[in-house]
Amino acid sequence: MNGPTAADLTLLLPELILVGVALVLILAARRIREGSVASVGTVIAALAAAIAAWQALSWGTTTGFGGMLVLDGYSQFFKILIAATVVIAALLSAGRSDGKGVPRGEYHVLMLLAATGMMLMASTTDLIPLYLSLELMTICSYILVGIRVERPTSSEAAIKYFLLGSFASALLLFGISLTYGLTGTTAYAGIAAALAGPEPLSQPFLLVAIGLIAAGLAFKIAAVPFHAWAPDAYQGASAPVAGFLAAGSKAAGLAAVGRVFLVAFNTEANVVSTILVGLAALSLLVGSILALPQTNMKRLLAYSSIAHAGYALLGLVAGTPAGVSATMTYAFFYVFMTLGAFGVLVALGERGESLDGFEGLATQRPGAAALMMLFLLSLTGIPPTAGFAAKFIVISSAVQAGHIALAVLAVVCSVVTAFVYMRVVVFMYMRTTERPVPPRFPATISAALALAALVTLVGGIFPGAVALWAVAP
Amino acid sequence: MSGYPWLSITTFLPLAGAVLILAIGSERRARWIGLITTLTTLAVAAPLLWSFDKSSSALQFVESADWIPAWNLSYGMGVDGISLPFIVLAALLSVLCVGVSWTSIAERRREFYAALLVAETAMLGLFAATNLFVFFVFWELILIPLFLLIGIWGGPGRVYASIKFLMFSLAGSVLMLVGMIVLHNACGTLDFRALALVRDNLSPATQGWLFAAFLAAFAVKVPMFPLHTWLPDAHTEAPTAGSVILAGILLKMGAYGFLRVSLPVLPEGVRLFVTPMLAISAVAIVYGAYVTLMQTDIKRLIAYSSISHMGFVTLGIFTLEQNGVEGAILQMINHGIISAALFLCVGMIYERTHTREIADYGGVVKLAPAYSALLAFFCLAATGFPGLNSFVGEFLIVSAAFNTQVWLGTAAIWGVALGTTYMVWLYYRVVMGAPNPGLSGLELELGVREVATLAPLVLLALCLGLYPELLLSYLHAPVAELLAMVGTP
Repeated sequence: MNGPTAADLTLLLPELILVGVALVLILAARRIREGSVASVGTVIAALAAAIAAWQALSWGTTTGFGGMLVLDGYSQFFKILIAATVVIAALLSAGRSDGKGVPRGEYHVLMLLAATGMMLMASTTDLIPLYLSLELMTICSYILVGIRVERPTSSEAAIKYFLLGSFASALLLFGISLTYGLTGTTAYAGIAAALAGPEPLSQPFLLVAIGLIAAGLAFKIAAVPFHAWAPDAYQGASAPVAGFLAAGSKAAGLAAVGRVFLVAFNTEANVVSTILVGLAALSLLVGSILALPQTNMKRLLAYSSIAHAGYALLGLVAGTPAGVSATMTYAFFYVFMTLGAFGVLVALGERGESLDGFEGLATQRPGAAALMMLFLLSLTGIPPTAGFAAKFIVISSAVQAGHIALAVLAVVCSVVTAFVYMRVVVFMYMRTTERPVPPRFPATISAALALAALVTLVGGIFPGAVALWAVAP
Repeated sequence: MSGYPWLSITTFLPLAGAVLILAIGSERRARWIGLITTLTTLAVAAPLLWSFDKSSSALQFVESADWIPAWNLSYGMGVDGISLPFIVLAALLSVLCVGVSWTSIAERRREFYAALLVAETAMLGLFAATNLFVFFVFWELILIPLFLLIGIWGGPGRVYASIKFLMFSLAGSVLMLVGMIVLHNACGTLDFRALALVRDNLSPATQGWLFAAFLAAFAVKVPMFPLHTWLPDAHTEAPTAGSVILAGILLKMGAYGFLRVSLPVLPEGVRLFVTPMLAISAVAIVYGAYVTLMQTDIKRLIAYSSISHMGFVTLGIFTLEQNGVEGAILQMINHGIISAALFLCVGMIYERTHTREIADYGGVVKLAPAYSALLAFFCLAATGFPGLNSFVGEFLIVSAAFNTQVWLGTAAIWGVALGTTYMVWLYYRVVMGAPNPGLSGLELELGVREVATLAPLVLLALCLGLYPELLLSYLHAPVAELLAMVGTP
């Protein structure tokens, strides 16, 4: 194999922009005292990466680095989505200092590098780069969770996340090695060709390989039974980091699941579908039921994100391009509504940590309460919010695949989660509080909330553009 | 008239008003914007009644547009003789809701009127929708404003009542969502009329399941026995305007759903379920009436009476006879008028006395003669007094019920008798007798604004009672077509 050519590098343009800005921030880190400088740099980097990803596709679908990376509509979709995640998360990180001792420069560097990993996960077509990019994302995430060194909960969460995460990575790696042993390749196309080939493969080993890869990836999207890290990690992390993980990590994980299972293990649709049905059903049930007793908002949203992993998987269950497109649409809207909900938590500071803190918010900060209600309605799936459109299309693709029982389970779980989310609305609108009125939100946080709200509302009324853009690989 | 998207204008005017209220941010102006918006909406909606061609069963004022082409979903509005009266009723009741809330809602007025207007948009859109997806969007949209109306401005048990209302409604409607998706997959369209044409794509068993899925949503809304338990709580705890919307329009959404979806699209499902539906309706009529008799809270009493009255409506629909269905629709409108009026009456006196217990009243006639006269009028209307609106509707339903099964007719007659008993007894305890000492010193008589709020309903009840053809003339053609679609059971 020859070294990378210039054409290969243009393929990586969005990632290169993120890494470049990250390097500049590392060099300047000692001089950065104001968090907002680093945030501005991060936002600009993410916007530039999004534009690069948008433009790059007009040069046509291309593969590079010996077929390990591909630039297609699928990767473009997720790259822009991840860039948007970074923009919102960086804006949310700008105004609030989450305690002393958080090095602002390094914080944003880690965010940019994690996003680089996420973007690569969406565009890779080989299991080895997939593993590498996934590790890049995950290792940065561990540090982001533990970056509030003065807080014991933060370190504890990071350790738990790290231990469970390494275990999941090991599973994934084992699955990759088994696949390589069976097929002699790690390229998705090669695997598909080997599986479709005339030579029979050892079925039990293949099942184990698929199961292990699914387990490793399910960890990233926090699907049950690989979800245990999420509530602790979200609770220990600062709210912007929790939002970044809930949105970005899940979107990237879904991107990887979609490509691996639709392209590489295309021929094993039955096995894949069975695994995904199990993951989806468990995530839906466990996520929505365990969200019921939560009184810490981050834990509540963590369990909600577990349930949402279940909804997102409903599209992939079908194993068709239309189903993948449904999951992409779901991931897109989910990112904005979940970042919006975490954004309100950020805006409220310490008060946003607990459910009680939302008491009487509607009379004190009507705008914030209305936005929170919008995001919660969207997470519930009430029209005309984006959450409804997303839920409609994934349930539709599950029904199309003949999984009516799974669809009914999904909607029944949405009633359970409705109770969870509406309890927050009850606290905001139907209770009074003696607490002091929260201070005005910084402009950066307001901008992040406005962006999330705009997509949640307009996307709900006109989801067609996203639906057309979401094209399976 | 045609050319302009009148139905969309009617539907989204209130939403624009709600946005305006929130944008302007003045507590003082909120109710004025509310009043002007609802009046304008009524002024746009009412003329549709005149320019509507009653002889035709076709959809009129039709609008259609692509909505989400990627998913093969479109936006469609249009009305026939069944839906148009509900649009006008919803627009009218919204005006009255603003009227009755004028002074009784003193806190957080902006949010109140914004919620009220969003609810109006949802009601209007629901009846104007010509496809199931649009219908579903409005069906769900109404939950949130009502949840807030009950939970923020309601009585002491408001939070429990609002959550219960929301959970019951959602539990029903999510099954409708699955049903809708199955229909969409099987038929490739969600347009009501188009669905009826391609319904043969659905096997009888599928139709049965789909009927059950839609039944879950509709039965909660009607509400049909035994899914009615949210209703007494929600109606009782809601502020007067909330009760009026609940009783006047929300309960009709379920029955309307049967007429729009279940009957024309799922005739095999109807055949499967018709007997249980008739039986449940009969139970609701009689059981609802007995429970009503037991109530000691005026608002709760009226709430329970709705269960009995809505039992008449579902009974009429599932007789699948021209008289029965026409009577059911007429009765839906009648109940919308009368129960709204009764809740308005209760709300007006509650604003003065702050009690809903029947025992705290008595001898009101001596303190407030005009109020007592109006209450008497609406109580009589509720009992089905000849010459007033309910009489005709109940007569049509009972006669169709006797045609179907004698025992159904008997149950219905029994329900009418019990209905007379509880209404007259309520009136006797509240208005007659010696004045309750607790009421002395209170100014109970109605003001001009309140009389003006009730006057349109008096007028409507009289007109529909004396000349029911006023409304029935809209129903003949579409009901005949609807029953032809169901076929003979």
